[in-house]
Amino acid sequence: MVSNLASGASNGCREVCFAAGLYDLDAIKRAAYRFSDRVRVEIEPTETVVICRLHPLMAVSEADHLAIVSDFSIEVLDQDLRRTIAAETESVRNLILSIAFSKTGFGQ
Amino acid sequence: MSKFHPLSAYENSASYKLLPFRFTALDEDRYVLTNMAGEYALLPRQDLYDFVRHRIEPGSTAFRTLKSRHFLMDDDSNVAIDLLSLKTRTKFERLSNFTGLHLFVVTLRCEHSCPYCQVSRQNIEHSEFDMSPETAERALDLVFRSPSPAIKIEFQGGEPLLNFPLIRHIVERATELNKVHNRDLGFVIATNLALVTDEILDFCRAQSIAISTSLDGPADLHNKNRPRPGGDSHQRAIAGIDRVRQALGRDQISAIMTTTTASLKRPREIIDEYVAHDFRGIFLRPLSPYGFAMKTKWYAAYKTPMWLDFYFDGLDYIIELNKAGVPFSEYYASVILTKMLTPFQPGYVDLSSPAGIGIGALVYNYDGDVYASDESRMLAEMGDKSFRLGNVHKDSYEDIILSPALLDPLEASFAASAPMCSTCAFEPYCGAEPVFHHATQGDPVGRKPISDFCNRNMAIFRGLITRMEADAETRHLFARWANR
Repeated sequence: MVSNLASGASNGCREVCFAAGLYDLDAIKRAAYRFSDRVRVEIEPTETVVICRLHPLMAVSEADHLAIVSDFSIEVLDQDLRRTIAAETESVRNLILSIAFSKTGFGQ
Repeated sequence: MSKFHPLSAYENSASYKLLPFRFTALDEDRYVLTNMAGEYALLPRQDLYDFVRHRIEPGSTAFRTLKSRHFLMDDDSNVAIDLLSLKTRTKFERLSNFTGLHLFVVTLRCEHSCPYCQVSRQNIEHSEFDMSPETAERALDLVFRSPSPAIKIEFQGGEPLLNFPLIRHIVERATELNKVHNRDLGFVIATNLALVTDEILDFCRAQSIAISTSLDGPADLHNKNRPRPGGDSHQRAIAGIDRVRQALGRDQISAIMTTTTASLKRPREIIDEYVAHDFRGIFLRPLSPYGFAMKTKWYAAYKTPMWLDFYFDGLDYIIELNKAGVPFSEYYASVILTKMLTPFQPGYVDLSSPAGIGIGALVYNYDGDVYASDESRMLAEMGDKSFRLGNVHKDSYEDIILSPALLDPLEASFAASAPMCSTCAFEPYCGAEPVFHHATQGDPVGRKPISDFCNRNMAIFRGLITRMEADAETRHLFARWANR
């Protein structure tokens, strides 16, 4: 699993890029939110890639920073998978909820 | 025709459809998947990806597990939709009952001076912090407006026994009113037991009133946490527990503990104290960010990871005790396990979504103000009345229940639509907790990546699943706790 096309470090931040056509921007934003206790993520979409710059919120070792980048890449994949599941199951989710809450009187 | 499908029905499905589910990493290798009803399954990461891409082998163990727990359906069976609907409906059943727990703060006075007091108690001579009979009467009118078939009235303080005449009045009046309303009516007094008398116990026996008390651990720890004149809080608590049991029966008293810095290295001694005094379980409870606990900085004195070490050391010790033949529960774990392993919701306010504020509990403060939860009135004593819903003397039941101070945070904090919570596998087990997040982050939703509530509970959910997946005997024990 290699989600990042390129990565590099400058000014204490690391850069990770995701193929623009492959990953939904929303999935990347959700991953950035999930990691907001550890890093501030700058997101810059271009035509071909979405560049994410990860700025640690506190001093971390190089190894820890690389681990965060790796975990962030996995989180983007997970968020993307969640979108796939949500899209495929939306109609059945609505059906289950409509049956579950039918005849409850909540809507009256 | 057989009532059962042949085995081949479970093995030869050519394709399958996904059912709605969430997933979250359990550890480096495994993911937890939960369906809409909160049933869970574990999959290695690669299997999860294969499952979502419809590549999982029909007939495999993973396929059968996912099918039986309603994570997928195939051409052979569409019963999963009906079952998931039924289980989801069961999960939310409590909502239709509305408020069952009604807390009366009959006084803020207390003769203890606990530095961690989260309700900001007042000195015993300040009788202006007592609830009046008129306020109690108005509050009782509101209590019986709740549609709940079961009503529990809990007396809180301060030390509520300092205003026992009002407790007596409320119990008698509520019992009288209930002849018309015909609810399943119960009473609890939350007391430190230092002031309990035979007269009080006689009344409790006659009215079937249960007692909830505090026991922080062995005498030295308890007395350090809970100072009072004479330094005899532990001695009085233990004597009171014995008297209550003799007067009311063994199961009419329960106790809770609060974790302070001094407790952190002593979970096993604290549990031993509960076992020694014949309790059947313990609620290992962290400090909350309210009242004197904030003012004295006791809340900030330890961080969530330190409390989690304390909690899991205690939990593992309790598991050891059970394996050695001592039946004993950890009550917070029991609440969560009921959510994990049964279709039922225990109705624990902190772990409810929609949040338990107002829906699960209402608080009638000594001055007639109505709050959305116990924590809401604790916050009010710190000067923040964000969750004040109205006043019993001025506002109608409709005004209170439809107050924006209740409806706005309920809607905003609903975990199924909150950032991060909405995709979290543990959402069916967790709560919205708008008061905690308001208190700690100034926002009822809160940013979950920095939320102590989120971090603490995520660790506990993972810890419980890890333990029961690693050991069949622990799983059997947890199933017993879940079905108590």
